[in-house]
Amino acid sequence: MKDYDSRWQRLAAAARQAPVADDVAAPFGFATRVAARAMNESPPGALAIFGRFSVRALYLACLLTLTGVAANYLAFAGTPDDEQNLVDPVSEVFTNAL
Amino acid sequence: MVDEAFDLPACLERVRQRDQVAARELVEHLYPLVIRIVRSHLPRRVAEEDLAQEIFLKMFTRLDQYKGAVAFSHWVSRIAVTTCIDQLRAQKRRPEYRWADLSEKEAEVLDLVLTSEGEVAANDALAARELVYKLLGQLKVEDRLVIRLLDLEQRSVAEISELTGWNPSLVKVRAFRARGKLKKLFQELERKERS
Repeated sequence: MKDYDSRWQRLAAAARQAPVADDVAAPFGFATRVAARAMNESPPGALAIFGRFSVRALYLACLLTLTGVAANYLAFAGTPDDEQNLVDPVSEVFTNAL
Repeated sequence: MVDEAFDLPACLERVRQRDQVAARELVEHLYPLVIRIVRSHLPRRVAEEDLAQEIFLKMFTRLDQYKGAVAFSHWVSRIAVTTCIDQLRAQKRRPEYRWADLSEKEAEVLDLVLTSEGEVAANDALAARELVYKLLGQLKVEDRLVIRLLDLEQRSVAEISELTGWNPSLVKVRAFRARGKLKKLFQELERKERS
């Protein structure tokens, strides 16, 4: 690792010597264009914040729904035996009356 | 780089009141800072002007969140760095280089570094930089960033932590892992060259 480190450091030191572009002034019209665009955009309001969080809320709601369905899968699916064992209160009343 | 006469607090106040002239002055004032960051992290195929514009628009959108806890230039630098990271993440493909893909000069520089203890000649600095960029380009975005800031820009761990929002321990861990990956890349290139 040490040997490699010295190789990398020599390479990095050489790379640092390379000249960097020194034209750092904004191109003509750049600042005006950006400023105009920024100032004409309306600042984010309550609706934008709502919009920003609504997608996350949707994901969370989907996740909770899936978790709920998975946790109660047996109750939803039920078994044929369970259905057969269910007592029908109406028919029971009629049977008793007769 | 920084214009001493520029009255930043007054300018920010005017920008908050939607003054377009003040916004233009702010962009002109900060452009050198932003463009240097953009150029050192520029993702492939993204024009530097487009990326700079995106950074400035984010800055204006979030201006109300700036409370003055850090210097404004640091706050803008952080937006610039995170925007570059986002752009780089969007470009998931990381090229893999072989010895044959290097230019003649780059191959010479790599050979010199791998086989001798000699220093790289000053007139090979450009080739060395291209070679470094090619090697770094094969790393994950976060690894690339941390090595670039540490070894090319010679920033301290504290500065990197401030720029990226990562805590110092995370910066050190990422640097350690990135160096390990760079070592493997070197070894891979060396092996391919021999074969």
